[in-house]
Amino acid sequence: MAAATYHAEHGTLLERFFARNRGPILVAPALAVLVIMNIFPLLWSFGLSFYRYRANRIKEPEFVWFKNYQKVLTDPVVWERFQTTAIIVAVDVLLQLVVGFLLALLFEKTFPGRRVLLMLVLTPMMLSFVAVGAFFRYYYEPTFGLLSQGIKAITGEPFILLGSEVGALAGIIFADVWMWSPFVMLLVLAGLVSVPKHLYEAAEIDRASWWRRFWTITFPYIRGLLLLAILFRTIEAFKLFDIVFLITEGGPGTSTETIAVYVYRVAFQYFKTSQSAALGYILLFVVIVLTNLYLFFVRRRAEEEP
Amino acid sequence: MRLMTKGKAALFAGAAALVGSAMWGGPAQAEDITINMAAPDWPPTRIMQDMANASYKAPSGNNVQLVIDFIPWPDYYTRLAASLTSGEEKYQMAVSDSQWLGANIEGGYYMKINDFIDADPGLQAVFEDLHPNLVASYSTYPHRTENYYGFPQMPDVLVVYYREDLFCHEGEMAAFKEKYGYDLPCSPEEQNEVHWGQVADFGEFFRRSSGDSLGGETLNDDFYGIAYQAGKGYDFSSMQINGFIWQHGGSIWDETMEPEGQALGVVNSDVAVEAFEHYLSLTEHMPPVVQTGTMDIFKVDELFREGKVAWIIQWIGFGESAISPDTSKVSDKVNFAKMPGLKVGDEIVRWSNIGGQPFVLTTWNSDTVIKEALDFCKWWLSTPVQHEFASRGGQSGLQSVYTTPEYMEYRPWNHAFGPSLDWQRDVWHIPEFFELLVQQQEEFDKAITGQISAKEALDNIAVFQDELLREAGRIED
Repeated sequence: MAAATYHAEHGTLLERFFARNRGPILVAPALAVLVIMNIFPLLWSFGLSFYRYRANRIKEPEFVWFKNYQKVLTDPVVWERFQTTAIIVAVDVLLQLVVGFLLALLFEKTFPGRRVLLMLVLTPMMLSFVAVGAFFRYYYEPTFGLLSQGIKAITGEPFILLGSEVGALAGIIFADVWMWSPFVMLLVLAGLVSVPKHLYEAAEIDRASWWRRFWTITFPYIRGLLLLAILFRTIEAFKLFDIVFLITEGGPGTSTETIAVYVYRVAFQYFKTSQSAALGYILLFVVIVLTNLYLFFVRRRAEEEP
Repeated sequence: MRLMTKGKAALFAGAAALVGSAMWGGPAQAEDITINMAAPDWPPTRIMQDMANASYKAPSGNNVQLVIDFIPWPDYYTRLAASLTSGEEKYQMAVSDSQWLGANIEGGYYMKINDFIDADPGLQAVFEDLHPNLVASYSTYPHRTENYYGFPQMPDVLVVYYREDLFCHEGEMAAFKEKYGYDLPCSPEEQNEVHWGQVADFGEFFRRSSGDSLGGETLNDDFYGIAYQAGKGYDFSSMQINGFIWQHGGSIWDETMEPEGQALGVVNSDVAVEAFEHYLSLTEHMPPVVQTGTMDIFKVDELFREGKVAWIIQWIGFGESAISPDTSKVSDKVNFAKMPGLKVGDEIVRWSNIGGQPFVLTTWNSDTVIKEALDFCKWWLSTPVQHEFASRGGQSGLQSVYTTPEYMEYRPWNHAFGPSLDWQRDVWHIPEFFELLVQQQEEFDKAITGQISAKEALDNIAVFQDELLREAGRIED
């Protein structure tokens, strides 16, 4: 610090410039990457969403105002895909919370082999989507798959989970819950271990029930983290693409096609580039609304607390 | 004096040689030229790379290297399209499905080669030697016009792969004859005459459960009679369903008849519905994965190589892995035949959707690269090179090659390839191809997975196509 001050006052012109602007200079490369890789494509695609343009045609883009947004929002297929996504998000996030919470309660206690088991439970979260998708595709496969073989040993018939709409949805949700419940567990576990032990001791002296202890001591400590888990997992589940595409390709028919898979189809199969940009921005808008809802609840909680 | 004169002459000659070499080029002037080609990652393109590395010498004397960017099949279209549309101009050549010609020619990415063919008797001879259906499918845009763009890289057709050990097993043959009243076709010649009515019988007959006997052995897992593509991805049901529709006398929307050609009433005609129902009826004899809509060509290949199915329809491109002991449990038990047709009276009506791919030149190449690329194409389509390609598991579209007796010996499926070319057709080459395909695949998939009927699927497809093609100006009343 002293050296920096010295250079800022007595060094050469270049040394003085670097000493006085050290912060911005250090941040500049990261900012440049952010602008080139994120901000510029974001603005570019936003601009594109107001044009009629297809990346696989030679025609000049034509400015069409909000026509793409109008087309997307009045398209019944888009609303169907939103419905499918909403079903997946609701069930998926709820199950992740329940499973994650139960796992956190389990790992809060110390028991032999806890460390090894914890590592195993965390493994799915560290795997790539492609590996998980490929694994579950084989796992559910009715001819060779483990699930089908196991059920066949009991019923004598192969089990075709992905043959129906409900089964395919269940298969996708199960895979995502398997992968991401450990993430919820980590957040909840962080909350659980932060609860001061003397509060539980006091509750025990007062002979408080298990539920009372949980609701009045444990829950307030994990509430914020649970909301964070809901936010993260809702946003991620809303963008669910990889697992759906790998396990069911959106089928049977279009029954598991989420909005993210549909955006991919519009962009890279139908090549309606500007329309897919508009749909992408609508998706972004929904995610921003969800985030703000979360922040609203967090602020309200903060105001309620003494 | 004489010595002096000789010395001067030698000096002069040496200087002249140096100047000449500098002016007209020579070994020291050879340019290093790399031709980057996008290609799907599978044996036919791997063989092409090996052969180019081993033996291609550019006639110009330049050091020309073919460098293939091998891209996995499932990502191939997306990756190629992304590269072409991004303007990165990475590839000088590309392997392309014939159906992508329209979109990529209209996009300005694929180069027209008519002028080069007109100026080069060698290329003219190649095009005259190619089977006309291959030229129409792989080279022309608009379809079946005289505007040429591509050369065949790997011509391919759908053929039958069957378990010779089961179809020729005495016990199985006797049981089959007793049940169905006719002989189980054992030899490729007999299999070549099979029609769809018999295929249903194969499907029913060879369906066995764990514990049953098959070919004299007790099974420890379920076994299935037949399989063909019925997947939602890419074109993994359309390629088979189109064959059924054409064989039944129906049609798809025909781009060569635009703008009069209609989709409504053609795509969903009674005949087309009957053909699609016929296709669906056979799926009940297939492994249960068909009910999930994920039985694509890769799954069919896997099921066959794992020894789970007796009889499949598959592209020839998968043949190598089926006969290799490294990749197939049935490598020594498989034989090949023509795809079945529909029996009408005493005749077997045959139509099928062509497979395989052409390779094309891109539009941003310099004159030197164009010349070198065309020289490479001529080398690739020369008789000895095509023979070598076929001897290593590829296919040749040159009539002078695939009709020779030695060609029949290269691989056990080659006898079915040449004759099959006569009844191949192709689907849309127009830029709207992918929209047509994606929607059609979704509707087919709904019918395959039992969500809607064949008629509902074809009605939905016809309405969509009518709307899209009218908007594009391809259908007018």
